[in-house]
Amino acid sequence: MKLSVFRYNPEHDQKPYMQDCEVELVPTDRMLLDVILRIRFDDGSPAIRKSCREGICGSDAININGRNGLACITPLKGLKEPVVLRPLPSFPVIRDLVVDMTRFFKQYYSIKPWLINDEPVPERERLQSPQDRAKLDGLYECILCGCCTSQCPSSWWNPEKFVGPAGLLQAHRFLIDSRDTATEQRLDDLNDAYRLYRCRTIMNCTEVCPKGLNPSREIEKIRLMMVKDSV
Amino acid sequence: MTGLRAWLVQRVSAVCMLLITLFVLVHFLVDPPRSYLAWHDWMMSPGISVLTLVFFAALFSHMWVGVRDVVMDYIHPTAYRVLVLAVLGISLVAMAGWVLRIVLIGRG
Repeated sequence: MKLSVFRYNPEHDQKPYMQDCEVELVPTDRMLLDVILRIRFDDGSPAIRKSCREGICGSDAININGRNGLACITPLKGLKEPVVLRPLPSFPVIRDLVVDMTRFFKQYYSIKPWLINDEPVPERERLQSPQDRAKLDGLYECILCGCCTSQCPSSWWNPEKFVGPAGLLQAHRFLIDSRDTATEQRLDDLNDAYRLYRCRTIMNCTEVCPKGLNPSREIEKIRLMMVKDSV
Repeated sequence: MTGLRAWLVQRVSAVCMLLITLFVLVHFLVDPPRSYLAWHDWMMSPGISVLTLVFFAALFSHMWVGVRDVVMDYIHPTAYRVLVLAVLGISLVAMAGWVLRIVLIGRG
């Protein structure tokens, strides 16, 4: 299989460059990550983050033929050759395919991704009805791989101010959690010109989400919550 | 006007413009004016005048929110941004004045 890989080592490269290579396929190869791990260049193998290699940890998010995805769950079948591998767009590159996720997680923490409940702690756990629990489906599955935010033009223009699709999906996860009592403050926090409303419903996020989630729809639901809240 | 309010203005104005455009198109298909004067009389009837004002109010507020969003995305130096927004605001107010004049005295 022919590949073209983004290379950049800040220690001795002036500029990033693309390097071509060819990897022999073996019968056990299923997913793109299997092949990436066998790439050998003269200076060693390209840097990539990976951990669980089954689409749960979200470490190996990269740009594959122009489209963000997880290398570990991208089937080799149907990939157009040469397979062009680049780091996540708009994220600062640390080395080769490894990017700096600091800004991404800063936005994530800014929505306070934890349960806020000022009521007295019950003797046992805070209970939730099965119906209320079902509202978290399509939200809790997010693995924070960054595919959506990295492919979002609104995040490209305002990465410091716009929370981005991943953060907003998480914001909705806590907004509709029946056990969370900070709904009002959470909505207030998002109601400015940038944090939520830079979303122009471009829907790249939904298009690329490797977990099949729909950040675009969740953002729309936050807006509708705000409308209801303000009436 | 930021956040939720700006977003609502954009949605509501879009729906207004869509409905009015459809209404005018359907009207011209069903009952096309036979002459310039007939068209002019129709445009100047009180109901249509009010509709014209609503349409342009929606158009200008829609433009303000939309173009301002583009400016906020692409123009970052504050002085330049203020300048562009000022030019936009003044042009919109001028155009609104022009529309008002047409509706009130019946000609440009």
